[in-house]
Amino acid sequence: MKVLHQSQFFISYQCDKQRCFFIEFPHKTIKLGFCQLLAFRQQVKEIDLEAHFNGQNNHGMEMLMLCNRQHFFVFNTLECIDLKEFVTGTFAMLELNSLLATSV
Amino acid sequence: MKDLVRQKLSIHVDVMDLLNKQIEKEAHSSSAYLAMASWCDHNALSYSADFFYEQAAEEREHMMKIFRYITDNGGTAFSPEVGGVNHDFKSLEEIFETALDQEIAITKSIHNLVGKCRKVNDYTTEYFLHWFIQEQMEEEQTMRRALELFDLMGTDGLGLKLLDERIPQIRDKRPE
Ligand SMILES: [Fe+2]
Ligand SMILES: [Fe+2]
Repeated sequence: MKVLHQSQFFISYQCDKQRCFFIEFPHKTIKLGFCQLLAFRQQVKEIDLEAHFNGQNNHGMEMLMLCNRQHFFVFNTLECIDLKEFVTGTFAMLELNSLLATSV
Repeated sequence: MKDLVRQKLSIHVDVMDLLNKQIEKEAHSSSAYLAMASWCDHNALSYSADFFYEQAAEEREHMMKIFRYITDNGGTAFSPEVGGVNHDFKSLEEIFETALDQEIAITKSIHNLVGKCRKVNDYTTEYFLHWFIQEQMEEEQTMRRALELFDLMGTDGLGLKLLDERIPQIRDKRPE
Protein backbone atom coordinates (compact mmCIF):
# COMPACT_ATOMS: atom_id res chain seq x y z
CA MET A 1 0.00 0.00 0.00
CA LYS A 2 1.33 3.39 -0.94
CA VAL A 3 0.39 6.69 0.63
CA LEU A 4 -1.16 9.04 -1.89
CA HIS A 5 -1.74 12.04 0.26
CA GLN A 6 -1.84 13.00 3.90
CA SER A 7 -3.66 16.01 5.30
CA GLN A 8 -4.09 17.11 8.88
CA PHE A 9 -6.79 14.53 9.68
CA PHE A 10 -6.89 12.09 6.76
CA ILE A 11 -4.62 9.79 4.76
CA SER A 12 -5.31 8.16 1.40
CA TYR A 13 -3.63 5.03 0.11
CA GLN A 14 -3.58 3.08 -3.10
CA CYS A 15 -3.34 -0.67 -3.04
CA ASP A 16 -2.02 -2.06 -6.33
CA LYS A 17 -2.64 -5.65 -5.36
CA GLN A 18 -6.34 -5.24 -4.61
CA ARG A 19 -6.70 -2.49 -7.18
CA CYS A 20 -8.45 -0.22 -4.73
CA PHE A 21 -8.01 2.70 -2.38
CA PHE A 22 -8.10 3.17 1.36
CA ILE A 23 -8.91 6.25 3.35
CA GLU A 24 -7.81 6.52 6.93
CA PHE A 25 -10.19 8.62 8.99
CA PRO A 26 -9.32 9.46 12.63
CA HIS A 27 -11.35 6.54 13.98
CA LYS A 28 -11.57 4.09 11.09
CA THR A 29 -10.12 3.11 7.76
CA ILE A 30 -12.35 2.29 4.83
CA LYS A 31 -11.75 0.55 1.52
CA LEU A 32 -13.03 2.14 -1.69
CA GLY A 33 -13.26 1.04 -5.29
CA PHE A 34 -12.55 3.69 -7.88
CA CYS A 35 -16.23 4.51 -8.42
CA GLN A 36 -16.66 4.91 -4.68
CA LEU A 37 -13.65 7.19 -4.57
CA LEU A 38 -15.27 9.30 -7.31
CA ALA A 39 -18.51 9.40 -5.35
CA PHE A 40 -16.63 10.44 -2.22
CA ARG A 41 -14.89 13.19 -4.18
CA GLN A 42 -18.24 14.47 -5.47
CA GLN A 43 -19.77 14.56 -2.00
CA VAL A 44 -16.84 16.50 -0.62
CA LYS A 45 -16.95 18.91 -3.54
CA GLU A 46 -20.61 19.57 -2.82
CA ILE A 47 -19.92 20.62 0.76
CA ASP A 48 -20.77 24.30 0.97
CA LEU A 49 -18.14 25.73 3.29
CA GLU A 50 -19.56 29.21 3.04
CA ALA A 51 -22.73 27.97 4.73
CA HIS A 52 -20.62 27.18 7.79
CA PHE A 53 -19.70 30.82 8.17
CA ASN A 54 -22.76 32.77 7.10
CA GLY A 55 -25.11 31.11 9.55
CA GLN A 56 -26.97 28.90 7.07
CA ASN A 57 -25.35 25.83 8.55
CA ASN A 58 -25.35 26.91 12.18
CA HIS A 59 -24.42 23.58 13.76
CA GLY A 60 -21.33 23.48 11.50
CA MET A 61 -21.67 19.77 10.75
CA GLU A 62 -21.67 17.79 7.54
CA MET A 63 -22.86 14.23 7.20
CA LEU A 64 -21.47 11.98 4.51
CA MET A 65 -22.51 8.47 3.64
CA LEU A 66 -19.97 6.51 1.71
CA CYS A 67 -19.75 3.26 -0.24
CA ASN A 68 -23.46 2.62 -0.79
CA ARG A 69 -24.32 3.81 2.71
CA GLN A 70 -22.00 1.32 4.37
CA HIS A 71 -20.22 4.07 6.26
CA PHE A 72 -21.54 7.15 7.93
CA PHE A 73 -19.40 10.13 8.88
CA VAL A 74 -19.97 13.42 10.63
CA PHE A 75 -17.45 16.18 10.10
CA ASN A 76 -17.09 19.54 11.78
CA THR A 77 -16.07 22.74 10.03
CA LEU A 78 -12.34 22.27 10.55
CA GLU A 79 -12.51 18.73 9.24
CA CYS A 80 -14.52 19.86 6.23
CA ILE A 81 -11.90 22.42 5.29
CA ASP A 82 -9.24 19.76 5.63
CA LEU A 83 -11.38 17.27 3.70
CA LYS A 84 -11.52 19.53 0.67
CA GLU A 85 -7.77 19.97 0.68
CA PHE A 86 -7.39 16.23 1.19
CA VAL A 87 -9.51 15.28 -1.82
CA THR A 88 -7.78 17.82 -4.06
CA GLY A 89 -4.39 16.57 -2.89
CA THR A 90 -5.30 12.91 -3.39
CA PHE A 91 -6.51 13.47 -6.93
CA ALA A 92 -3.50 15.63 -7.72
CA MET A 93 -1.27 12.73 -6.70
CA LEU A 94 -3.31 10.34 -8.83
CA GLU A 95 -2.92 12.64 -11.80
CA LEU A 96 0.78 12.95 -11.20
CA ASN A 97 0.99 9.17 -11.12
CA SER A 98 -0.89 8.98 -14.44
CA LEU A 99 1.52 11.47 -15.97
CA LEU A 100 4.50 9.43 -14.79
CA ALA A 101 2.94 6.23 -16.10
CA THR A 102 2.37 7.69 -19.57
CA SER A 103 5.80 9.30 -19.83
CA VAL A 104 7.64 6.03 -19.16
CA MET B 1 2.58 2.37 -8.50
CA LYS B 2 -0.10 1.25 -10.95
CA ASP B 3 -2.19 3.82 -12.77
CA LEU B 4 -5.45 2.55 -11.29
CA VAL B 5 -7.37 5.64 -12.37
CA ARG B 6 -6.48 5.06 -15.99
CA GLN B 7 -7.43 1.39 -15.68
CA LYS B 8 -10.91 2.38 -14.60
CA LEU B 9 -11.51 5.65 -16.40
CA SER B 10 -10.79 6.69 -19.98
CA ILE B 11 -11.74 10.30 -19.36
CA HIS B 12 -9.66 12.85 -17.48
CA VAL B 13 -11.27 13.53 -14.09
CA ASP B 14 -11.51 17.31 -14.62
CA VAL B 15 -13.02 16.74 -18.06
CA MET B 16 -15.56 14.43 -16.46
CA ASP B 17 -16.58 17.26 -14.12
CA LEU B 18 -17.10 19.57 -17.08
CA LEU B 19 -19.08 16.89 -18.90
CA ASN B 20 -21.35 16.63 -15.88
CA LYS B 21 -21.80 20.40 -15.99
CA GLN B 22 -22.64 20.06 -19.67
CA ILE B 23 -25.31 17.49 -18.78
CA GLU B 24 -26.90 20.14 -16.55
CA LYS B 25 -26.78 22.67 -19.35
CA GLU B 26 -28.39 20.34 -21.89
CA ALA B 27 -31.09 19.46 -19.36
CA HIS B 28 -31.70 23.13 -18.74
CA SER B 29 -31.91 23.78 -22.50
CA SER B 30 -34.43 20.99 -22.82
CA SER B 31 -36.62 22.48 -20.10
CA ALA B 32 -36.25 25.98 -21.49
CA TYR B 33 -37.45 24.80 -24.91
CA LEU B 34 -40.36 23.03 -23.29
CA ALA B 35 -41.39 26.31 -21.65
CA MET B 36 -41.17 28.01 -25.03
CA ALA B 37 -43.31 25.29 -26.59
CA SER B 38 -45.91 25.85 -23.90
CA TRP B 39 -45.98 29.61 -24.58
CA CYS B 40 -46.36 29.00 -28.32
CA ASP B 41 -49.19 26.55 -27.73
CA HIS B 42 -51.01 29.06 -25.54
CA ASN B 43 -50.64 31.69 -28.18
CA ALA B 44 -51.99 29.48 -30.96
CA LEU B 45 -48.65 29.24 -32.73
CA SER B 46 -48.77 25.53 -33.27
CA TYR B 47 -45.93 25.17 -35.78
CA SER B 48 -43.54 26.98 -33.47
CA ALA B 49 -44.83 24.91 -30.58
CA ASP B 50 -44.02 21.70 -32.46
CA PHE B 51 -40.62 23.08 -33.32
CA PHE B 52 -39.81 23.69 -29.66
CA TYR B 53 -41.22 20.34 -28.52
CA GLU B 54 -38.81 18.75 -30.93
CA GLN B 55 -35.95 20.95 -29.74
CA ALA B 56 -36.69 19.92 -26.16
CA ALA B 57 -36.51 16.25 -27.14
CA GLU B 58 -33.24 16.83 -28.99
CA GLU B 59 -31.63 18.52 -26.02
CA ARG B 60 -32.56 15.58 -23.87
CA GLU B 61 -30.88 13.32 -26.43
CA HIS B 62 -27.74 15.43 -26.22
CA MET B 63 -27.85 15.10 -22.47
CA MET B 64 -28.21 11.33 -22.68
CA LYS B 65 -25.36 11.09 -25.18
CA ILE B 66 -23.01 12.72 -22.68
CA PHE B 67 -24.48 10.78 -19.79
CA ARG B 68 -23.83 7.46 -21.52
CA TYR B 69 -20.39 8.56 -22.64
CA ILE B 70 -19.37 9.19 -19.02
CA THR B 71 -20.76 5.93 -17.67
CA ASP B 72 -19.51 3.84 -20.62
CA ASN B 73 -16.01 5.07 -19.93
CA GLY B 74 -15.94 4.29 -16.24
CA GLY B 75 -16.99 7.67 -14.89
CA THR B 76 -19.89 8.70 -12.72
CA ALA B 77 -22.64 10.70 -14.38
CA PHE B 78 -24.96 12.74 -12.17
CA SER B 79 -28.63 13.18 -12.90
CA PRO B 80 -29.12 16.93 -13.25
CA GLU B 81 -31.36 19.21 -11.26
CA VAL B 82 -33.06 21.84 -13.34
CA GLY B 83 -34.12 25.15 -11.89
CA GLY B 84 -34.91 28.66 -12.96
CA VAL B 85 -36.86 27.94 -16.13
CA ASN B 86 -38.36 31.10 -17.60
CA HIS B 87 -41.94 30.93 -18.86
CA ASP B 88 -42.53 34.62 -19.52
CA PHE B 89 -42.02 35.99 -22.98
CA LYS B 90 -43.43 39.02 -24.66
CA SER B 91 -43.28 37.81 -28.24
CA LEU B 92 -42.34 34.94 -30.53
CA GLU B 93 -39.42 37.01 -31.74
CA GLU B 94 -38.12 37.28 -28.19
CA ILE B 95 -38.40 33.52 -27.87
CA PHE B 96 -36.27 32.85 -30.93
CA GLU B 97 -33.76 35.44 -29.83
CA THR B 98 -33.53 33.77 -26.43
CA ALA B 99 -33.16 30.42 -28.18
CA LEU B 100 -30.25 31.73 -30.26
CA ASP B 101 -28.56 33.18 -27.18
CA GLN B 102 -28.99 29.86 -25.43
CA GLU B 103 -27.43 27.96 -28.33
CA ILE B 104 -24.51 30.38 -28.46
CA ALA B 105 -23.92 29.86 -24.74
CA ILE B 106 -23.94 26.09 -25.28
CA THR B 107 -21.50 26.42 -28.19
CA LYS B 108 -19.12 28.38 -25.98
CA SER B 109 -19.42 25.79 -23.28
CA ILE B 110 -18.62 22.95 -25.72
CA HIS B 111 -15.64 24.88 -27.09
CA ASN B 112 -14.42 25.45 -23.55
CA LEU B 113 -14.67 21.70 -22.94
CA VAL B 114 -12.63 20.97 -26.06
CA GLY B 115 -10.03 23.48 -24.87
CA LYS B 116 -9.80 21.63 -21.57
CA CYS B 117 -9.46 18.27 -23.36
CA ARG B 118 -6.49 19.62 -25.31
CA LYS B 119 -4.88 21.00 -22.19
CA VAL B 120 -4.98 17.64 -20.42
CA ASN B 121 -4.47 15.50 -23.56
CA ASP B 122 -7.88 13.84 -23.35
CA TYR B 123 -8.12 13.12 -27.08
CA THR B 124 -10.84 10.53 -26.61
CA THR B 125 -13.28 13.11 -25.27
CA GLU B 126 -12.16 15.69 -27.78
CA TYR B 127 -13.07 13.24 -30.53
CA PHE B 128 -16.42 12.54 -28.85
CA LEU B 129 -17.15 16.28 -28.74
CA HIS B 130 -16.63 16.79 -32.46
CA TRP B 131 -20.22 15.70 -33.05
CA PHE B 132 -21.38 18.44 -30.66
CA ILE B 133 -19.34 21.12 -32.41
CA GLN B 134 -21.06 20.29 -35.69
CA GLU B 135 -24.44 20.09 -33.98
CA GLN B 136 -24.02 23.50 -32.36
CA MET B 137 -23.09 25.07 -35.66
CA GLU B 138 -26.31 23.73 -37.17
CA GLU B 139 -28.42 24.78 -34.18
CA GLU B 140 -27.17 28.34 -34.36
CA GLN B 141 -27.90 28.43 -38.07
CA THR B 142 -31.43 27.19 -37.47
CA MET B 143 -32.19 29.88 -34.88
CA ARG B 144 -30.67 32.56 -37.12
CA ARG B 145 -32.91 31.46 -39.97
CA ALA B 146 -35.90 31.94 -37.68
CA LEU B 147 -34.81 35.46 -36.79
CA GLU B 148 -34.32 36.26 -40.47
CA LEU B 149 -37.98 35.45 -40.98
CA PHE B 150 -38.85 38.23 -38.54
CA ASP B 151 -36.68 40.63 -40.52
CA LEU B 152 -38.32 39.63 -43.78
CA MET B 153 -41.93 39.28 -42.73
CA GLY B 154 -44.02 41.47 -40.51
CA THR B 155 -45.75 40.14 -37.44
CA ASP B 156 -48.79 42.42 -37.61
CA GLY B 157 -52.18 40.82 -37.97
CA LEU B 158 -51.96 37.75 -40.15
CA GLY B 159 -48.20 38.16 -40.51
CA LEU B 160 -47.43 36.28 -37.33
CA LYS B 161 -49.62 33.34 -38.43
CA LEU B 162 -47.88 33.18 -41.78
CA LEU B 163 -44.52 33.36 -40.11
CA ASP B 164 -45.48 30.54 -37.77
CA GLU B 165 -46.33 28.39 -40.78
CA ARG B 166 -42.83 28.91 -42.15
CA ILE B 167 -41.13 27.69 -38.96
CA PRO B 168 -40.95 23.98 -39.95
CA GLN B 169 -38.80 25.02 -42.92
CA ILE B 170 -36.04 26.57 -40.85
CA ARG B 171 -34.68 23.18 -39.93
CA ASP B 172 -31.86 22.26 -42.18
CA LYS B 173 -32.02 19.11 -44.20
CA ARG B 174 -29.23 17.22 -42.59
CA PRO B 175 -27.44 14.49 -44.47
CA GLU B 176 -27.67 11.03 -42.80
FE1 LIG C 1 -27.74 20.57 -27.12
FE1 LIG D 1 -29.35 22.91 -28.99
